[in-house]
Amino acid sequence: MKKRLIALLTAGVLAASMVPVTVFADDADAPTADVSSEDENTLSVYAWDANFNIPALEAAEADYQNNVNPDFKLEIITQSGSSDVENAVTLAGQSGDYSNLPDIVLFQDHYFQQFYQSYPDAWVDLADAEIDWDDFGAEKLSFSTIDDVHFGVPVDNGTAIMAYRTDLLEEAGYSIDDMTGCTWDEFIEVGKAVYEKTGKYLLCMDGSGNDLPYMMLQAEGESQFTDGEPTFATNEKYNQIIKNIVTMIQNNVLYLGNDWSDYTDQAIIGDMVAGVLNGNWIIPTMEQAEENSGKWEITSLPTLEGGEGFASNGGSSLYITGNCSKPELAADFLAKTFGAGSTETYDAALKNGGVITCSISAGESDVYQEGVDFFNGQPIYADIVAMGANVPVIEQSDYHYQARQYVGTAIQNLVAAGEPDDDAVAAALQDAQDQLSFEMAG
Amino acid sequence: MNKKGKSVRAKERRAGWIFLMPATIMILIMSFWPMIQAFITSFKSGKGSLLTWANPWNFNYARILQDKIFITSLKNTFLYLLIEVPIMLILAILLAQILNNKDLKFKGLFRTMVFLPCATSLVSYALIFKSLFATQGLINQVLMSLGIIHENINWLGTAGTAKAIIIIALIWRWTGYNMVFYLAGLQNIDYQVYEAAKIDGASPWSTFWRITVPLLKPVIVMTFIMSINGTLQLFDESVNLTNGGPANATITMSHYVYNMAFGQGVGHFGYSSAMSFVIFIMVAILAFINMKVGDTRD
Repeated sequence: MKKRLIALLTAGVLAASMVPVTVFADDADAPTADVSSEDENTLSVYAWDANFNIPALEAAEADYQNNVNPDFKLEIITQSGSSDVENAVTLAGQSGDYSNLPDIVLFQDHYFQQFYQSYPDAWVDLADAEIDWDDFGAEKLSFSTIDDVHFGVPVDNGTAIMAYRTDLLEEAGYSIDDMTGCTWDEFIEVGKAVYEKTGKYLLCMDGSGNDLPYMMLQAEGESQFTDGEPTFATNEKYNQIIKNIVTMIQNNVLYLGNDWSDYTDQAIIGDMVAGVLNGNWIIPTMEQAEENSGKWEITSLPTLEGGEGFASNGGSSLYITGNCSKPELAADFLAKTFGAGSTETYDAALKNGGVITCSISAGESDVYQEGVDFFNGQPIYADIVAMGANVPVIEQSDYHYQARQYVGTAIQNLVAAGEPDDDAVAAALQDAQDQLSFEMAG
Repeated sequence: MNKKGKSVRAKERRAGWIFLMPATIMILIMSFWPMIQAFITSFKSGKGSLLTWANPWNFNYARILQDKIFITSLKNTFLYLLIEVPIMLILAILLAQILNNKDLKFKGLFRTMVFLPCATSLVSYALIFKSLFATQGLINQVLMSLGIIHENINWLGTAGTAKAIIIIALIWRWTGYNMVFYLAGLQNIDYQVYEAAKIDGASPWSTFWRITVPLLKPVIVMTFIMSINGTLQLFDESVNLTNGGPANATITMSHYVYNMAFGQGVGHFGYSSAMSFVIFIMVAILAFINMKVGDTRD
């Protein structure tokens, strides 16, 4: 009897000990050793998406080899996600040992400011790099600029797109022209009609990421922060935006997913929606629902008072780290590829990785003018670059993601409490703002 | 003669220390040193690597009581504790009692089945529960086809059901683990005691309460302490099943500590360390009460 119990326990322990091994096996290629490059013509870089930003870096490597230095080599070290790069910087910063960082990192724009505040020694500025900064959208650069000094070279473009299924709009009696420059009130009416006729939601959001409020407020030209302090609770437009979001959720205009995979796999790929609003990097996700090819078109965002709204969400830039042993080479490489609006880099990045530039001159190349079948032949890349130039610059904050999280809590509470009135919205947002201020005071 | 004996004993003692040394040093470096560091950090404030001594010295600790989300996470954790631990331990003791039955067939098979959930990794079982209870998941499909519900329920997106699912998941995962301890305890109780009780005409109910429970008491106290300790440090389920949502309705204390330190990039390491020590003190107090209550010596 006891023997059997022991055998059982042993089997259990053995089985349990197997599990972590398989889990960690995935991380085995995450480098922990010294990753700074030795060779004088080699630079190392962290990036994370083999279908998106890594082809862009390969394009830049080829460009620099062809036109500047044939011996140049870019050692691209693949990470499993953007958070790996953030964790690597956190680890280096906390331990005060930057020797484990590569020469260059690809870094999420929204995170840069707070990582600069927390770990200033981890970064090297680009003050001396010969880059025509006016060629980039001002909004994009606002993320990577600290006290007018540039730190990052933009890679992709986070411009938000509002994509609609034209066939479903038509079924409900509307066209994409009706939606361009409409008010949010009109949008809600269309959304109700679309859901009634087709059973699809006109909008969706990841309920653990809550990125819509930020974009909708940016389309109004305003920020959740003023002079570093959160001020969204007393912002009338923001109150109206949150009220609209709650109303949309309650009327089946907006599908609120529980998390990111609910948002992408169920809502977008699972064909539950007639509209998508997010940074243009969401396009590859949309394209996975192949049966809807040709039915989508994109335009700008609705606004509260009507008129076209422009916003941006996400995106990343390349930054030189404090561990870079060849800052001149790194700056020259960045300046002559991504920084120079080089069509050789950006055309290949678009073709191989779907990376859309925010360099205005690179966006004029022929490749950008081509129509895209999935979007009914619309030349979406040129359209996105054009929209990107209109995105208003708003105040950014270290606490961007925290604000999103606390506002997400407010939205959840409002949805659960029934039809929202102005006072309830104001109170919920005040709670969110208080909690954020509390955290910031620490 | 006397001298020689002493030196042998000294030699033995030295050998003992040498054998103990590697493990002791490892524990000191890997476990106790970080604890001391964390305690020091808990008196600092600031972001990321820019930590300075907090002013006043108890700044972080005073903040904890004003933190609404920490209070929410505290309530959530204690709700899990109060509902989950009794259900789980009662189920475990009943299962152990059943599986200890001498006449039961396929005992090994049943025991393996009950214990098996314990052999799965915390993350993978949480993810499986998540997909089971997804809006388009298996549970909704089954309930729909049975006609019990008429539209998909958003189990993990609604506060009440999300909490219930975490509790169900915990019971599924940990009952077998506790059962093994009870089973081992039951096998140490001499069968003759039960036979004697039978001869005296005791009912199974009173046999259970008068014989099994008192004799199992040390094991029960141990499982209680382990369960309280484990529940107060609950992390994986909150992170992987619900990500603390909706609206922090399921967030646990450890999850909140993690969020403050690593969640969104702004690392409030001082405040997180302070919260960790508050949790540590809670565990210590509860364990102490438990040991006093369970202590049978006079």
